[in-house]
Amino acid sequence: MEQAPVSCIPNTKMLKAKKVIDEAKETQNPELDLADKGIASFEEMPGLFNMLNITRLTLSHNKIQVVPPGLANLINLEILNLFNNQIEELPTSLSSMPKLRILNVGMNRLDVLPRGFGAFPVLEVLDLTYNNLDESNLPGNFFMMETLRALYLGDNDFEFLPPEVGQLKNLQILVLRENDLVELPKEVGDLTRLRELHIQGNRLTVLPPEIGNLDLVSNKSVLKMENNPWVTPIADQLQVGVSHVMEYIRTETYRYVYSRHMSSERQPPPKTNDKSKKISRARQQS
Amino acid sequence: MFCSRCGDGFEPHEKIVNSNGELWHQQCFVCAQCFRAFPEGIFYEFEGRKYCEHDFHVLFAPCCGKCGEFVIGRVIKAMNSNWHPRCFRCEMCDKELADLGFIRNQGRALCHECNAKAKAVGLGKYPLRFRGEVYHGYHFNCTACGVELNSEAREVRSRPGFAANEMNELYCLRCHDKMGIPICGACRRPIEERVVTALGKHWHVEHFVCAKCEKPFLGHRHYEKKGLAYCETHYHQLFGNLCFVCNQVIAGDVFTALNKAWCVHHFACSVCDQKMNQKTKFYECDLKPVCKKCYDKFPNELRRRLRKAHEQTPKKATV
Repeated sequence: MEQAPVSCIPNTKMLKAKKVIDEAKETQNPELDLADKGIASFEEMPGLFNMLNITRLTLSHNKIQVVPPGLANLINLEILNLFNNQIEELPTSLSSMPKLRILNVGMNRLDVLPRGFGAFPVLEVLDLTYNNLDESNLPGNFFMMETLRALYLGDNDFEFLPPEVGQLKNLQILVLRENDLVELPKEVGDLTRLRELHIQGNRLTVLPPEIGNLDLVSNKSVLKMENNPWVTPIADQLQVGVSHVMEYIRTETYRYVYSRHMSSERQPPPKTNDKSKKISRARQQS
Repeated sequence: MFCSRCGDGFEPHEKIVNSNGELWHQQCFVCAQCFRAFPEGIFYEFEGRKYCEHDFHVLFAPCCGKCGEFVIGRVIKAMNSNWHPRCFRCEMCDKELADLGFIRNQGRALCHECNAKAKAVGLGKYPLRFRGEVYHGYHFNCTACGVELNSEAREVRSRPGFAANEMNELYCLRCHDKMGIPICGACRRPIEERVVTALGKHWHVEHFVCAKCEKPFLGHRHYEKKGLAYCETHYHQLFGNLCFVCNQVIAGDVFTALNKAWCVHHFACSVCDQKMNQKTKFYECDLKPVCKKCYDKFPNELRRRLRKAHEQTPKKATV
């Protein structure tokens, strides 16, 4: 007697995702929208890895825990959006995707990036917002992504930013909102094309004077730096506006203030951001 | 069968020389001058007679005007003499003139450059250039006002197609400036060919360039900003009208928000990638657009923080 193949995935769940995939196959639509479909595993999307024509795959607001390395088969993919899932680890293979320009893995549970992650050939926008990343779990080649123009690291756990960040010559947007940063490396001043810098909600007291090299006050630029325990002269300037801060850190007076501050024995300000409620902290029940 | 020289017949087994259908006794096939056999069989023919190489040269070959040797092969006939090609050189710079052509200058053969130099020296420091030659200015008068010219005079190119040859004319500097010939905004020289008018100035076609990459526009579209012109790529690179999603120059309507620009069809929620339009209400997170549906899915603690930050930001004139 023959038995029907047994699947451990409930049939109704399977249907939702499968329907969208079949439809996309039928219409040859290169953009696949699978946001908020209750997907817990790539197994619910049979045949997905054979859809070599797709250029965008959106899987935000699902319950995916594991990203299989086979996803890198989709060689024409330019945009991959995995925002708000339960991913703890990414496969190294993603870094070899030849056309991937925009990768969004914000709001997951990443506490490490795989070795060699920085090998993306054409990545332009990398969104790692709201994870559990810090400087100790970045791979060695992370800052070799020369094509990167926007890096979103807001809502993570960085205390220091590696000086190698200065290698991201094309970076226009750098978001470090609400980390635990104690200081910024002077190499941020090498990012000549930077026009958005978000450093609000950290533990910063001073800015390296090299930041003064950047044009962050024109009408095409943004500098967000509120909610930091700034030294008094910077805090005073910030009261009147960021343009006054930028002007002030270019002065000789500030260079002196900065060098004295850096050479003094001091305790970094305490952590103030309470992260216990972050959903990225939730652990998988295994 | 008779010998072409002596007219006698041939012995039955005698060797016969056949040259171009004529027959000869072997002892009769000799140089017309020295009556000896031709060394290695080489002979030269002149007016029906055959000569050995040596005698032919002695009798007929030209002698080189420089080295005095016979000229064999290519002969340069110039300056009333014959020359080896390698012996006929510019008397100033020693360049071979055979293939370059030369100009006779006071009994000397000179190349074109040296001739121009020699002439310039003769005319003082600033010769007047006119129709490719150099002159003393005082041999000419201004076409417009008739004043005697000096080296400051300007040659004005006649409009092509109006005359069979180029009929350029000379004007004094004053008249030249009054003629309304446009001056290039870049090199400050008059523009006699195509004129580009842009940014309130005139330009040589090849001098109207992008302020960033300095490549000429050559009729391609240019963009103006603060009195400078830019090519499409650099204008957008410098002034930021590249689409945040496709990173390409935005053709057509631009959607501007959150310090960024988008192609109209690329403006979408940064979380779920759903397209949005001018009317769609959206929230902002790290200066990225988030649709209401996605924002509502953000965890409470994040929404609380974003709301708090939003209330704190100084309410300045937001564009």
